[in-house]
This record gives sequence, structure tokens and C-alpha cells, in this order.
Amino acid sequence: MQAFLAILRYDLGQLARSWLVRIWVALLVAPALFLTVVASTENELASETLGAYLGAVLAPLSGVAVAVITAAAVSGESGIIADAILSRSVTRTEYLWAKIASRIGVTLGLYFAIVIPLIYLVTRYAVNDVSAAGVLVGVLMVAVLLGFLAALGITLSTLMRNVLMAVLVLLLVIVSSGVVLQFLGLTWLSTTAVLNDLPDTFRGDTAAWDSVRVLLLFPMMSVLALAAAVWTFRQKDL
Amino acid sequence: MLVVETNDLTKIYDNRYIALNALTLNVEKGMVFGLVGPNGAGKSTTFRILLGLQKATAGTADVLGEPMSAERADLRRRIGFLPTNPRFPRNLTPIQYLEFVGAICGLPADRAKVQLARLLQAVDLTTAASQRIEGFSTGMLTRLGIAAALMNDPELLILDEPTSGLDPSGRKQTIELIRELSGRDRTIIIATHILGDVERVCTDVGIISAGRMIYSGPMTEMRRLARHGTVSVEIEGNTTAFEQQVHTLDEIGSLAWERLGSEFRITFLGAEPLPNYVQRVLGLVDRTGVELLHIRTGADEIEEAFLRRLEEDRTRGFLRAAAWAATQDLQAGATPDAPGAPAIPAESETRDAGIPRDPAV
Repeated sequence: MQAFLAILRYDLGQLARSWLVRIWVALLVAPALFLTVVASTENELASETLGAYLGAVLAPLSGVAVAVITAAAVSGESGIIADAILSRSVTRTEYLWAKIASRIGVTLGLYFAIVIPLIYLVTRYAVNDVSAAGVLVGVLMVAVLLGFLAALGITLSTLMRNVLMAVLVLLLVIVSSGVVLQFLGLTWLSTTAVLNDLPDTFRGDTAAWDSVRVLLLFPMMSVLALAAAVWTFRQKDL
Repeated sequence: MLVVETNDLTKIYDNRYIALNALTLNVEKGMVFGLVGPNGAGKSTTFRILLGLQKATAGTADVLGEPMSAERADLRRRIGFLPTNPRFPRNLTPIQYLEFVGAICGLPADRAKVQLARLLQAVDLTTAASQRIEGFSTGMLTRLGIAAALMNDPELLILDEPTSGLDPSGRKQTIELIRELSGRDRTIIIATHILGDVERVCTDVGIISAGRMIYSGPMTEMRRLARHGTVSVEIEGNTTAFEQQVHTLDEIGSLAWERLGSEFRITFLGAEPLPNYVQRVLGLVDRTGVELLHIRTGADEIEEAFLRRLEEDRTRGFLRAAAWAATQDLQAGATPDAPGAPAIPAESETRDAGIPRDPAV
């Protein structure tokens, strides 16, 4: 447990010092403030404003940022991982869980830290047409999407030594998943479909089953991806 | 008590490259064991398996009496490791990195601080303690690696090329440090190319070649073997007569000699005590009437012995290959089920005979 906490603290420190994370936060905060001002002055609907922000700003920006910080979680340290960390009294499971906790924690922590105040401001200053349950479900749906992306990134990070390759493969998977899911008749599972339906979800107009299946399936896929990451990493020669 | 015990340790990478070939390594408590071998001999792979960083393809590796694996953090807590050309998180300072190592090892923060201050002083990094690691030279990284390896006051210290990249004074300091660290129930294993370092600090030595241990024994025995049979004389005068009669010093084929200017280096391959050989060489000096300027036994002794062992192993390798080729010819000439066809030996028998079944192995 001590090793887990030490690595978690070390990795959070690394992320705090990272310019990528700083730029990511700045790029999320500035449009959020801008949209709040516009929504209040133009009397926009809160559901549409939140949907536009999450779908057009937060999701693509965070998609890229999360892909980089998670795909680099292990592969980014391939040079030092054996020499400086795993040759000490740390198990691979402890190391990887610390990485998972830190990277997914930062992803979701930043997401909630930006989205919760934004929801408060938009519902207060714009035309409030959202339902509390709808907002909760909508926010959680985006959270599970980001969580899945982060889990997939960490899995690729354990498989590949090259950070750039891991990031490219992850982005390729995201981009091509829409086409594949459409071909398979599972359009509802695609991130685009979930994000497009967000205004309806915020208003509480989405069918309960549609939301529940997204809220169940993505965490399940995340757990599977993380289990694969742990299994792969434990087998790997360093 | 054996601190490290490997049996038939084998590592094959991607079914292509044999890094370790049934390696047997036994290191007892309190030893300073020098692991010597050429590049690619398997020294670092052995260490990585002993630390659980890599999995053995076959064989066993026990450390501190228990089998090592990736999940044995409890065993690694008792081990200190310095890799070759160590790499560390570049944006940390030595203090931050050693604090991190202390935290991983479960040291209380105040004890870790005392320990890291003491170690930074011991490896002469106190003045660089607040600098970022990214600006460090190879020597400074090695010294930081030594400090990190000692943070948990380990029972077993594994040093992979500890003097690599160090200037002469740094090298001397490191050797002194290793000497100080030896004893007190601590076991040290050092892999190095620098045979002088091994000679200075090690109590025991193992020679590894192509993934196999070709010699393992006490340093004193290695020195004795090294000295055994090598006599160098520097002479003046009728050196031609000396040269013509050198071969008469022993039976034909049981000595080898070479001339380096006025120096003759004569290696006796027999098993007689060294004084007998010295006496014979002095006899020849007397008979040929040359003037003896200098005589010594076992110059560069460890290096000589090391190279001799490698050469012997290579020769044996050719013999093994020839034997294997012979068995292949026999098998090709007879169908396996035909009566009277030679039986293919069991795997263990094949290995004992030194004849691998698979040409790749």
C-alpha cells in the first residue's frame, strides 16, 4: 500500500507539472466562461449550451488530452520503469493500479471540477430547461465515455513501448469506432450518438433504457480493458 | 546459506535469441561475487530475472531462499540494485528521487531523510542534491544509482557495471565504497568487464559466456589457476638460442609461448606446481647463456585466466557442434522406427552429453 501511495503521489506530481494538463485546463475553462456569458446575455437554453460545450469543446479536447496522458502512462516511462521503480519493492499490480488511479482520477477530477461549476452557472444565468436527473445522467454519460477512453489508453500503454504509436492507435480506434459501430448496427454505442443526444438527456427526454445501457456498458468495457492491461503488464518482460 | 541459487536458468527471447543457457549460479551469504563475461554473455539478463523484472523461460531462480517473481516486492525490499547506465525520472532532484525510493521501500519519512543525506554524502552528490537529474553526467547517474540501491540498507546488493562511466577517482571511490559495504552479513554481486575491479573487491568469481557459467569459484582459486603455468622472462644476449630451445621445456604440445621483443611469455599447460616450471625456465636461461633481466609469474593474471577460460569454452563449443552434427548424420542415415536405428536420447541425457537436440539450442 505504501508503494501504491508513493507512486500515486509521484505520478500526480508528474501530471501537475505537465504542460499538457495545464494547457488542457486552460482550453476547457476559457470557452466554459465564454459560453456562460453568451448564454446569459442571449437567453440561450441551458440544455443546448451544456450540450454544445460538452459535445463540441470538452469531448474533442479532452479526447486528445486524455489519449496522450493515458497512452503515455506506462510507455512514457519505459526507459525508467525497470531501473528506477520496479526493481524496488513494488509489485507490478501496485504500480499499474497507481497509474490507473492517477490518470483516470485526473481525467475525471478535472472533468467534474470544470463541469459542475459550469452547470451551476449556466442553469442560473441561462434559460433553465434542464431536469436534475437529466443533468446527472448526462454528466455521468460523458464521464463514463472519458473513463473508457482513459482505460483504453492505459491498456495500449502497457502493450506498446512507443508513446506516439500508442496515442495514434488510440485516436485511430476512436475515429474508426463510429464507422464500425454503424456497420454493426450499434450506432447508439458510438460517442457521437451519445454526445448528439446530450441536450435531450439534460432535459430528461431520453428514454431511460438508452441512458442505462450506456451507463452500464462503458464501465463494463472499461473494467475489461483495465483487466487486460493488468494481465498484460504482469506478463511483460521489462 | 545460499542468497542466490539458480538451477538451469534459461531465457530465450521471442524464440530467437538464447540469452541464458541452463545457467547455474550459487552465491552464499557474505560473499562479494564478481560476475565476469563479455558483452551479451547474459549478466544483465541474469540480474533482471533475479529481480523479477523478467521471467525465466525455464529453470528456477531463488533469491534469499525464496522463488523470485514480478509480484515479490517483499523480496525486493531486501535487495538493492544498480543497473548499467541507470535512468531516473529526469525532472526530479536526487533528494526527491531518493525520498520516492524511501517511500516505496516503506521507510518512515524522517528516517528516509537521514538515510538519503548520508548516502548523498557517501557518493559525493551533496553539492548536486538540488539540481535536476536531467543535467547529470553518466558518472553522477551511476553514483545516484548506488545511493538509491542502498536506501533500504539491503541484505543483497546487485551492481551491474558499478564503475561504468566513472572517472578514475570516481572508480576508486566506488571500489572503496563496495569494500566498505561488504561483510556485515551483506552479500554483493557485481557484474563488470573490468577485471581489476573484480580482483580488488571480490571474494568469489563466476565467468559467464554465451549464457552459461563456465567457471565459478573463490577468487584465490582463480588467482592460483591464473598464476599456474605462466612464466615471463625478459632476456638479453643470445635470444635466438633461447628461442630455439623453448619448446624443450616441456613435452611437445603442453606449452605455448610467445615473444614480445625481448620478453618471452611461456604458458605451461601441464598440472605441475609453478616452481617446477620456474626452475626449468631458469635452467634454460643458464644453458643458453642469456642474461636474465626480469622474471615474473602470472602477469595480468586474472585477465589471462579469464581469456583462457573463454577460449577453452569456445573450443568445447566447436566440439559440441561437431558432436551434434555427427548425431544428425546418424539420424539422417536411419529411419527412426527402423530396427537398429540409434535411439534419440532423452532431453536430460542430451544436455548432459553437451549435445543440444535443437540446433538453435
